[in-house]
Amino acid sequence: KISRDYAVVDHTYDAVVVGAGGAGLRAAFGLVAEGFKTAVITKLFPTRSHTVAAQGGINAALGNMEQDNWQWHMYDTVKGSDWLGDQDAIHYMTREAPKAVIELENYAFGGQSLKFGKGGQAHRCCCVADRTGHSLLHTLYGQSLRYDCNYFVEYFALDLLMEDGECRGVIALCLEDGSIHRFQSKSTVLATGGYGRTFFSCTSAHTCTGDGTAMVSRAGLYNQDLEFIQFHPTGIYGAGCLITEGCRGEGGYLINGEGERFMERYAPVAKDLASRDVVSRSMTIEIREGRGCGPEKDHVFLQLHHLPPEQLAARLPGISETAMIFAGVDVTREPIPVLPTVHYNMGGVPTNYRGQVLTVSGGKDAVVPGLYACGEAASSSVHGANRLGANSLLDLVVFGRACAKTIAEENKPGESIGSLKANSGEVSVANLDHLRHADGPLTTAALRLNMQKTMQAHAAVFRTAETLQEGVKKMQGLYKKLDDLKVSDHSLIWNSDLVETLELQNLMLNAMQAIVAAENRKESRGAHAREDFKERIDEYDYSKPTQSQTKRPYEQHWRKHTLTSINSKTGDVQITFRPVIDITLDAQECSSVPPAIRSY
Amino acid sequence: MAFKQLKMSYLINTYIPRPWMRLIQPFSVGTANLAAKEVLPREFSEPKIPPYTERVDEPLKLKKARLLYQSRKRGMLENDLLLATFAAKYLQNMTAEQVKLYDRLINLPSNDWDIFYWATGIKPTPAEFDNEIMQLLRDHVQNKDRESRIRQPNLYA
Repeated sequence: KISRDYAVVDHTYDAVVVGAGGAGLRAAFGLVAEGFKTAVITKLFPTRSHTVAAQGGINAALGNMEQDNWQWHMYDTVKGSDWLGDQDAIHYMTREAPKAVIELENYAFGGQSLKFGKGGQAHRCCCVADRTGHSLLHTLYGQSLRYDCNYFVEYFALDLLMEDGECRGVIALCLEDGSIHRFQSKSTVLATGGYGRTFFSCTSAHTCTGDGTAMVSRAGLYNQDLEFIQFHPTGIYGAGCLITEGCRGEGGYLINGEGERFMERYAPVAKDLASRDVVSRSMTIEIREGRGCGPEKDHVFLQLHHLPPEQLAARLPGISETAMIFAGVDVTREPIPVLPTVHYNMGGVPTNYRGQVLTVSGGKDAVVPGLYACGEAASSSVHGANRLGANSLLDLVVFGRACAKTIAEENKPGESIGSLKANSGEVSVANLDHLRHADGPLTTAALRLNMQKTMQAHAAVFRTAETLQEGVKKMQGLYKKLDDLKVSDHSLIWNSDLVETLELQNLMLNAMQAIVAAENRKESRGAHAREDFKERIDEYDYSKPTQSQTKRPYEQHWRKHTLTSINSKTGDVQITFRPVIDITLDAQECSSVPPAIRSY
Repeated sequence: MAFKQLKMSYLINTYIPRPWMRLIQPFSVGTANLAAKEVLPREFSEPKIPPYTERVDEPLKLKKARLLYQSRKRGMLENDLLLATFAAKYLQNMTAEQVKLYDRLINLPSNDWDIFYWATGIKPTPAEFDNEIMQLLRDHVQNKDRESRIRQPNLYA
């Protein structure tokens, strides 16, 4: 008989951080350094957060920046966001970037003052190219421990504890002994990363299941811009490991199920070296029109075996072994199955530039007291409709720091917290209990795969009304199937089946909102590219002078943030909007960038 | 003036040999010959993090359940796939001693990339981890049977 008793342990902290990646650790460190009694809840050991995958150097971000050049970075970021980014947050990030990175260098180098930028000592720290993510995590984790930060490692955060519209803490499951823990805290920071695992092909670790964005949804709050998802054209089918453009640069090319080199049709001149979005869309169209490869005709092939083996070995060694290790393919003899692959989520929990989570009240932005978010889980929004390569690590460090600073500005250590009802968190425990007993016909793995394939087929690179509407219908059907799940392992201790089922609930909430938002947005902007609405629809047509034009009313243009909320029982999604912030923090310091047509 | 200074530093870095840097010897995996990688010496002091403490008195069944969770949840998808497929193949039948070696292998190294590099042969495995389990993992990675590791194995059929 499965026990229905749950041991509950209560804790009180000044601040709780959920997620121990780059953003979470930076926030935690900032908090403990200011004297706040802080707990970090993480389902993974901190140095194993997905941030560790980052290889490329924060300095790469700052490489071209000198002290007075951050305005160029600001401009690039606004343009990259396709004018959906909030310019106050972008101003803040690009201005604070040098300070935030210098602070980091100091922690690793024990107080040496270093100049960031080209040459010299700084080059060494930030340029530890294949250890950037690890270095960041290791440094922040170590520093936070010096100040007595409390880590709850391998605890799975279940839900926020909300009362009177305020966030008063978090409830979590300890995977080691199955006990439930309620953390009462005045401030909660969500730094749980993205939701790449909603798709079949993604570069994200299997831990990227949108836990924070889901918790926010269950708390009745909004998520923002979830339809903006960044893709890379060629990841190994299913595995997601990226095959970089270098392959095609060396003479490799894409073929469809009929053995045709199809890029010749879509881009007669550039062919396989056309821009990323052109390649991704061409691949998807081939699959949609029935010319895909494999038994399910759901991917295309990247062919390299026509290249001399010596060239493959010398110029593309990593590809050969990746293809063998994961796909069992010998690139000198067979083609590699590839698919456009999810790489980053621009959307997330809406915040202001200070990291405070926002909701909408009376048509205006309102802060949710006690709740903060940073990193990929948040939408501040610096990335808008499309993220620049350099900005993801910077985002972690700057906004993790911002959350800590804001909490320190608004609170004092040891302050009393609003009360929590005695049965606070009961709903989460009931859900946990329900899943442990779930005995339907469908395994978690089967439903998850179905969801991932549906999202890949309908909400990936190729978006039109037909595919999106069909996708929304299918997802609605799949959402209802959460009631049919079967969990085979009833234990509370180290139960991977149970954890993956909780994660599937989270993934479904993210996927539903993302696809409904994508179907709803009838324009193309940044990473959201529609075949049936190819242009950006702003308040003015910025390809012409604006003086002679009448401004389109807010309801008739799309230069606004999508806000989605979802009924977690039924999967019904509600959509509303909030305006993009075009004003910077200080016009003297940094002028606003007026919208223009984005061309590169 | 400041700009000239920067340019000078950059030039110095390029032309003056740096004897304190060492090259990693190239290693081969299958038909691929991997390029040597330059690694900067760890002379700067990153803050210390406490070493992993191995659990005592943990029942073998629970240990295996924990290691299964920890094999499926890594820092990047390459390790997710390699360790999850490895655990699905071998964990169930491992002896207590082998389980101990596996536990140390996936929990002691701080940088998940290191486990990937050792398993693929890009970097040599440090002596403390170079044991029968590591050899099994290296063989698993070589993929002589040309298995497909594009998804994590289902926990249940």
